[in-house]
Amino acid sequence: MSLVTFDNVSKFFGEVVAVKDFSLEIHDREFIVLLGPSGCGKSTALRIVAGLELPTKGNILIKDRVVNDVEPKRRDVAMVFQNYALYPHMSVYDNIAFGLRMRGLNRREIDRLVKEAAQNLGLLELLRRKPGELSGGQRQRVALGRAIVRRPVVYLMDEPLSNLDAKLRVQTRAELIKMHRQLQTTFIYVTHDQVEAMTMGDRIAILEQGLLQQVGPPQEVYDRPANIFVAGFIGSPAMNLFPARLESRDGDLFAESEVGSFRLDAQQVRGAMDASDGEAVVGFRPEHLYLGAEGGRPVSATIDSVVDLVEYLGNETHVTFSRSDSTLVARLDARVKLKPGETVPLTVLVENLHLFDRASGRRLG
Amino acid sequence: MESSDAATVALPAPVPLRRRHPWLGELSRFGGGMLFLAIPLCLFGVFVFYPLVKSVYLGFFVSDPFGHGQEFVGFDQYREVLTSPDFRKSLGVTVLFALYTVPTGMILGLVFALLANQRLRGALFFRTVFSSTIAASVAVAAVMWLMLLNPSAGIVNWVLGQFDLPRVNWLTDPQWRQSWDSGPALMAVSLTTIWLNIGFTTLVLLAALQNIPQELYESARVDGASPWSLLRHITLPMLSPALLFVVIVASINAFQSFGQIHILTRGGPLDATNVIVYSIYTDAFINFEYGAAAVRAVALFVLVLAFTLVQFRFLAGKVFYR
Repeated sequence: MSLVTFDNVSKFFGEVVAVKDFSLEIHDREFIVLLGPSGCGKSTALRIVAGLELPTKGNILIKDRVVNDVEPKRRDVAMVFQNYALYPHMSVYDNIAFGLRMRGLNRREIDRLVKEAAQNLGLLELLRRKPGELSGGQRQRVALGRAIVRRPVVYLMDEPLSNLDAKLRVQTRAELIKMHRQLQTTFIYVTHDQVEAMTMGDRIAILEQGLLQQVGPPQEVYDRPANIFVAGFIGSPAMNLFPARLESRDGDLFAESEVGSFRLDAQQVRGAMDASDGEAVVGFRPEHLYLGAEGGRPVSATIDSVVDLVEYLGNETHVTFSRSDSTLVARLDARVKLKPGETVPLTVLVENLHLFDRASGRRLG
Repeated sequence: MESSDAATVALPAPVPLRRRHPWLGELSRFGGGMLFLAIPLCLFGVFVFYPLVKSVYLGFFVSDPFGHGQEFVGFDQYREVLTSPDFRKSLGVTVLFALYTVPTGMILGLVFALLANQRLRGALFFRTVFSSTIAASVAVAAVMWLMLLNPSAGIVNWVLGQFDLPRVNWLTDPQWRQSWDSGPALMAVSLTTIWLNIGFTTLVLLAALQNIPQELYESARVDGASPWSLLRHITLPMLSPALLFVVIVASINAFQSFGQIHILTRGGPLDATNVIVYSIYTDAFINFEYGAAAVRAVALFVLVLAFTLVQFRFLAGKVFYR
């Protein structure tokens, strides 16, 4: 059973399109991440689930019931805001208890639940304090506590980690994953951070300009990006992408690009039939560029490139190469010694090649 | 440590700091501070502290018609004026006037601010209308209400007439009924004062309302709050500093109102609107009893001070400052 369903949802703010024809089924107990650059409509989509925005078109369903006209408080959702939205005039205790009080629980029950949530989040010592007297990380915990204590059917999180420093973010990320496992509840999590998305999500839904680009498990999204946008957005350093023309030569099909000509395999050839006018885009990830020959596996292209920039990161080295007027980025072993100006052959394997239609951006094959 | 010292290269001897008398630095810092304070101190001195001290001093004298202390009477004049029935009457009128104007003005201002803060078509128009009385002078407002409240030609009585209610002699009737302490006259003056203050109150509260982060409301709505709960648990607490400010300013305004009373009723009828400020004016500039006026002025000062301290004391604890 799907717990939350976007059924062809669109949201316009005047002329501005925030979300367009968005359809997505979110399963019970799933951790789904809405990912995209800022302004892509992911927060709007989340706010539509919360009831803070009404869809202009389409339906939003929670537990198979259309909730378009249902007030936020009757949707049984809890939301964690980017800036936490803690009530500054209330103590931590009152902040966590607020939702329970609004729902008319009795005092003893509230006290038990608040203390239990505070215990889990390590907030017991801070219950009397006001949000103004807490650190960023502590405030974030209070915001989480306020959501957890309510035991809703779905948790909505709008970039809850973006105001934390890097170290705390990594730590809280892990805690959220554990929390999801313990609570056994559905999480809808909005972020622009692909690392958060990859590490936390059971599935990732990628949005761009209000349109859903791809939904799938992190691995699938990374290995088989559905279009050029997803290919370029997921992964760091970003995928190398070059416009190419499909040409057949000696019984093989090649993608001719500025950096070289890439031989395609049978599956890609079949996909390439769909390419409009033979105009395509080839792509390969930085970790799939090999120095020299990579024995045994079918090679798509070997590119002689000039070393431009070497960035040593300790565990790996990022190397920027130039070839004609184009730039390639490779993720190489940390021990590789390359000097700027040096020319080296780079190998791309057929199995690592991604092919997209240039006009529509869609994946081919 | 000491042996290794001998081995190190000799450092140049530290240049001794020029020693000054220890209090010289303090003095120059104090002088600098005073320099910055000089202008406000002068202004306050001339317009606040000197008149205050002089009033207290004048209270000890029976003065001549030119305001010079004539005969030293000690506390006799204080005792006499402060225990007189007309002072007690004006004290009562003043407190009643404040009770009429302050809570009503604040609640109306809050309602207007809440209405004007709605994201509706034409909200800007109403924001302007609600706060426009801030631009009206006391004299203009008073003359306007003088016409509105005119017993025969005023619109207020006309409206009452439409509902078959008896006409009211707003500005000349001291009592609603024989036994009551207040009447239409004080009500009329209060109405004018509320009208005058409403623009300021609305403006301050509207500004404060717009400073409340929208996210708090959204969070509370998801948490299950009804519109009433939002007002009670989010809006009012977040507005509390502005509300305290408005109450204190409105109270001080009420205690110091003069213009509208002068134009509408001249303290009458039968002292029904003779607030302390107006009695000071009558004593000093009609009866030329400067000493007695000074005593009333000191009494008013103490009253306002006490009132403000009480408000701070009892309300400040409920105020939340971010």
